[in-house]
Amino acid sequence: MPFIQNTDADRAEMLKAIGVGSIEELFRDIPANLRLKMSDAGVLKLPPGKGELEVTRHIQDLLSRTRNAGDYAYFRGGGIYNHFVSTVVDHIALFDGSFITAYTPYQPECSQGTLTFIFEFQSSITALTGLEVANASMYDGASALAEAMMMGKHVSEDRHRKENRNTFVLAGAVNPEYMQVCRTYADVAGLKVVHVAPGPDGRVDGDALAKALTRKVFAVAVQSPNYLGIIEDVEAVVAAARENEILVVQAIGEALSLALLQTPAESGVDVCVGEGQSLGNHQFLGGPAFGFFASKKDWLRKMPGRIVSETKDKDGRRAFSLALATREQHIRREKATSNICTNQSLCALRALIHLAAWGKQGFVELAEHTVAKTQYAMQKLAAVPGVKLAHPGVPVFNEFVIQAVPGLEKKLLKKKVVGGLPLDKYGKGRRGQYLVAVTEVTTKADIDRYAEALAEAMKGKPVAV
Amino acid sequence: MQYESERIMTNTLANPAEKLLFEVSKTGRRCLRLPELDVPKVDVKAALKGAKLRQKPANLPEVGELDLVRHFKNLAQKNFSVDRNFYPLGSCTMKYNPKINVTLLSLPGFTKAHPHLPEADLQGHIELMHTLEGWLREISGLAAVTLQPAAGAQGEMTGLMVIKAYFEEKGEGKTRRKVIIPDNAHGTNPATAALAGFETVTLKGKADGNVDLELLKSLVGPDTAAMMITNPSTLGILEPNMVEIARILHAAGAQLYMDGANMNAIQGMVRPGDYGVDVMHFNLHKTYSVPHGSGGPGAGPIAVAKHLEPYLPYPRPMKTDKGYTLANPNPKQTIGKVRSFFGNYGALVMAYIYMSQLGREGVRRNGENAVLNANYLRARLRGTFHIQNDKPCAHEVVFTDAIQHKEYGVTALDIAKRMIDYGIHPMTIYFPLPAVTGGHGAMMVEPTETESKETLDYFVEVMQKIAAECKDNPEVVRNAPHTTPVSRVDEKTATTNPQLYCAMCIA
Repeated sequence: MPFIQNTDADRAEMLKAIGVGSIEELFRDIPANLRLKMSDAGVLKLPPGKGELEVTRHIQDLLSRTRNAGDYAYFRGGGIYNHFVSTVVDHIALFDGSFITAYTPYQPECSQGTLTFIFEFQSSITALTGLEVANASMYDGASALAEAMMMGKHVSEDRHRKENRNTFVLAGAVNPEYMQVCRTYADVAGLKVVHVAPGPDGRVDGDALAKALTRKVFAVAVQSPNYLGIIEDVEAVVAAARENEILVVQAIGEALSLALLQTPAESGVDVCVGEGQSLGNHQFLGGPAFGFFASKKDWLRKMPGRIVSETKDKDGRRAFSLALATREQHIRREKATSNICTNQSLCALRALIHLAAWGKQGFVELAEHTVAKTQYAMQKLAAVPGVKLAHPGVPVFNEFVIQAVPGLEKKLLKKKVVGGLPLDKYGKGRRGQYLVAVTEVTTKADIDRYAEALAEAMKGKPVAV
Repeated sequence: MQYESERIMTNTLANPAEKLLFEVSKTGRRCLRLPELDVPKVDVKAALKGAKLRQKPANLPEVGELDLVRHFKNLAQKNFSVDRNFYPLGSCTMKYNPKINVTLLSLPGFTKAHPHLPEADLQGHIELMHTLEGWLREISGLAAVTLQPAAGAQGEMTGLMVIKAYFEEKGEGKTRRKVIIPDNAHGTNPATAALAGFETVTLKGKADGNVDLELLKSLVGPDTAAMMITNPSTLGILEPNMVEIARILHAAGAQLYMDGANMNAIQGMVRPGDYGVDVMHFNLHKTYSVPHGSGGPGAGPIAVAKHLEPYLPYPRPMKTDKGYTLANPNPKQTIGKVRSFFGNYGALVMAYIYMSQLGREGVRRNGENAVLNANYLRARLRGTFHIQNDKPCAHEVVFTDAIQHKEYGVTALDIAKRMIDYGIHPMTIYFPLPAVTGGHGAMMVEPTETESKETLDYFVEVMQKIAAECKDNPEVVRNAPHTTPVSRVDEKTATTNPQLYCAMCIA
């Protein structure tokens, strides 16, 4: 019997020790008429169990009906990126059972391994963002932003007691997945989400934002680099929010950008959240990876999620343990800061290994390498007749938008190119636009192939306006 | 197994001072190198003109690959894990995680599956999700499933959002404000209800842990949206009156939510839908062997009755004449999305692989053996430790420290810490709440079905030994553990004076 070690003889002995005649007697509190009969195959329509060999074949068969980013010259990002993941990461996080088969470190004495790496992970997020407190990670970037929204509401309930601020503003081009998740959380919490559409240059529309940031707003979020790849002036958003004491959240979709860009602490935001997939996590159709969540220390006690702190053992040795559990659901129940019970430890571990494997210098070089490739891709694609950059002259990190014509996908696929993500549904006036993503995995040959295929696909098409 | 933990102390030669990565960092060391730049080099400042840049590089550690690997291998030895230790942590279902899960998951077909690939390239993945939904529908006895929630707590939230949307469409959104939750529920239940904008009403449980039907009747009314119930309960006891509970709620127009945290006990034995449950969540990391990953990632799909299906999050995997598709069939009614893309797909893949191996018989067999193992421990340790409700339990058994505390002043915490010295991960302690364990410190043991009788016998032996120590040498228990890299950790200071990062990361 796979995964069951009890033999029939064991079972007989155990039943005897318990003092019952059959296992089914142990289920007597389930009404007999509801108990399933295994003799009736129609009741539980699952296939018969398979052995390891058969399952392996079956999975290979399923995968034969898929293609992945590695099968193409691949140019899509939009929140999940086709990065290289070092073998070291999988060897430690996936194939060594010590971390993957442990659980939340409730008992610190036998969980120092986990607690130490979470502490190191928090330290890495602090190093990247400059913010003093980072939690042990959230589900993903989208739900981390929704949690930041909820935290903003709680902070405002304390800071602006009588105002009952109820509006959350999303400034500019925010990932639509993040916007949707925020709206879903806001709906049940009775919060209002206002989206201030980006201006014509793809950046936050400063005037429109200033109008939106009234005293009804408890928090504002800006994504930078934004969904269109453009680096925002986060400081300007912070300045716009200051007068009305609005909490400012920066969301980040491509964590590698933190290697080069002004840190969230430098731009003065209160909270920084983002998607951590880029840091050593596989794509897996978008999950699991993790969301990071860092904040100024002022809001520590309002933060969601697990947090690990350094402390000491009884004999004065350095030790680590979970901290501030009094914010959490298992203590505070309905008054908790969040209902979150776990974090994405294993994904956070992957990020830590990834960051250390690249190291201080290597991580910067990786980002610079990406910038060079992105610049090359912009030039090559914008040089294709009929194609131009949708937002010329604004700084981008590893993604940019081209203006071409709709419906080019199939022609590119024939050349083994998955071109940029069509933006037709992302907002008015984006017909024929594509969001193009570049990583260190992208080669010059890939970019040239894309440009060539695009040129051929564009032949005879009207010039983009 | 006791020898395993003794070794923990010794094998730290690579990093004897137990330094953090930041502390062993040395300028110039590195593991990875970039490919040769095959495009023209650019001046980064010029290329990013108009953007503000960070003042100095992030102070990440710089280490060589060997020391990086050794660092984590050393940390690995400071962790108990299912692969090395019996891990009877109640309510967490720490069963064996088959190796095939991670081996197949690391195939490029999964690791490089980008969510924005053309749908034609995702056919095998959508098929997998569609099939997994079907299996969970069968096991739950409910009409529809979403795999999107990333964890049990997010499943709970999704379930309550669906219930809320249902009542809003019926015009009862404003009146049905309350969610009834038993006092012994997991903390996530009330926290979720609050997050979803409901008022929580606490239902005091009976001494035996079962629901007090009369009290429930008095609480249920036109303002009730739902009741959240865990079955088997957090005391590891099957609720005998599930059908009646569902009837009481439905008679008042309210919904019954079942927390499926303890589904390992009843899978294949009874379908929650047959009880009358309207919504339930699964914890795939508990019941279906997705590794717990030191605290995540998991997955918390929910199953709902037919009338709630239109409100499920999108996109939903669907089968059509032309193949599989990801659709939003009810754009006006859906609650939206609770997580980006398709949830924790990698976790779903592992559950799928595991369930493929179990098959129909295996699902049932797991539940039976989980319950058998727990009852065996209950029978063997009866008398050594006090049991609040000594009757057949489900997949976990709740002992208390009543005897040891009263007679020798040794607490559940002390006992838990002493287990570590014997190479066993402590059980869950002080949960469920003292209110349902007669004021005594609870010790909730969940052996799972994957442990052998020999391991269970070893556990019994250890627990008897510890009970004897409580009497003969209580200090050794009170000061435990003795074999770990650190002695008892001061968790209080971690909270009163939190130190959340290594100073060198911002040096």
